[in-house]
Order: sequence, then C-alpha cells, then structure tokens
Amino acid sequence: MTSPARPDLDQLLAAWAEARRLPDADAERIRQAIVPADPTLSATWWSDFNARISATIARATTVPAPALAALP
Amino acid sequence: MTTGSDDAAVFTRLFDAHRDAVHAYFLGRVADHELARDLVQETFLRAWRRLSEVGPLPADRQRAWLFTVGRNLAIDSYRAGATRRATEASLRQAAAATRETAVPGPHLEAEYGERLAQLEDAIRELPEEQRVILSMATAGGLTSREIGEALGEPAGTVRYRLGQARKQLAAALDLKEDR
Repeated sequence: MTSPARPDLDQLLAAWAEARRLPDADAERIRQAIVPADPTLSATWWSDFNARISATIARATTVPAPALAALP
Repeated sequence: MTTGSDDAAVFTRLFDAHRDAVHAYFLGRVADHELARDLVQETFLRAWRRLSEVGPLPADRQRAWLFTVGRNLAIDSYRAGATRRATEASLRQAAAATRETAVPGPHLEAEYGERLAQLEDAIRELPEEQRVILSMATAGGLTSREIGEALGEPAGTVRYRLGQARKQLAAALDLKEDR
C-alpha cells in the first residue's frame, strides 16, 4: 500500500471505512447463523408431493382413447 | 412452489445487497463492533422470518424495511443502556486500537497511521447524527438520497450534516476541506 506523505480527508476516510467494514468472513458467519444449513422444505411440500403423485397415478391408469375404441 | 433452497437464495441476495449499509448504520450508532454485528444479525433474522414479504420488494424498499427494523433495534438497545456504555467504551478502544495497529509496518507509514488515529478520535467527537451519516456514506457506500430514505430525512439535510462532519474532521486534522 502506498500512501502519500500527507493524505487528504477522502483518502483517510476511505482507509477508515475499509478498516471498519464488515469482513466477508463475519458476514458469512451471520448469514449461516440465520439460514439453516440444510434448507427446510416449504410449508406446502406434502400437498405438492401428493398432488404430483396423484397426477402420475391418474396418467398411468387412464386408458387411452384409442385403446378404449379398440375394445370389443 | 418455493423450496427452502429458493428462500436461502432470495435471502442471500438480500443480505449481500444490504449488509454493508446496515452494518455501517449500526457502526455509526453503536460504534462497538460486536454489538453492531449482533444488531446486523438480528435485523436480517427478522428479514428472514418475513422473507415472503420482504424478498419480492425492490431494493430501495427492502432497504427502507431493513432500516425501519434497524432503527427500532438501535433504540431498544440504547434504551437498554448497554449501547451508550458500549459506544463510549468502544470509541475509546477504537482510537487506541487504531494507534496500536497503525504503527510503522509493512503496509502503513508512521505518519499515515497517526493520521488515521487522529481521524478516529475526530469521528468519536462528532455528534451521533453526523457520525451515523458519515459511516453510512463511507463504510456503507450509500448516496445522500439513499441515506435520507433510510433515516427518514431529506437528502438535503443528509448532505448538510455530511458537510458539517467533513468540516469538523478537516479542522480537527488541520486539512483543507473544499466541499
């Protein structure tokens, strides 16, 4: 780091701000303390899951129209 | 359908966008680094709990929401009495720490370090309203308009107080201040 022999106010304030800024490591610790490490499922995950299962079953068990037409 | 990982991504964007500004605000209010970090965490914890409300907002309204929470937390903390004592103690420590770390070394020249310590002393002497604005402008990187929106003050008032703070600092450090 080079600094002038007589820094002006902006340079000093920039250095002060840099020294006082929240370090990335501290910020990450704060973020991790708030956000669960293993994100929880949404509140509607069970109904969403059931809806997808039901739709899959319905599709799988529906007899296609051509097949119905071919029936005796 | 939103998943936990979606929420985490939304929160991380919000956190990264505003963390420096919120931290700079608390640094100006309470000066104590530990307390400032705690208050940042509490502010964003509340945002996390209300993410469905805060997450979709545009950045300026997210900031306004966060600072409303932050101001209330700072007031609560101040009322508790801990903040004022911590502020006074921390400002003294910060000035001393700046002196200790700013001695001649591989990266700092002696005179430069001494000037930084003088600046720290001068910032300590600023009225709180000026110190908060100065911190938000320098460490938080916010414009006068953004600071005004965050604090509920006209941008002109913010610019005036920032100018007053700079004049006081320049006078304390025997520097010319043209702004």
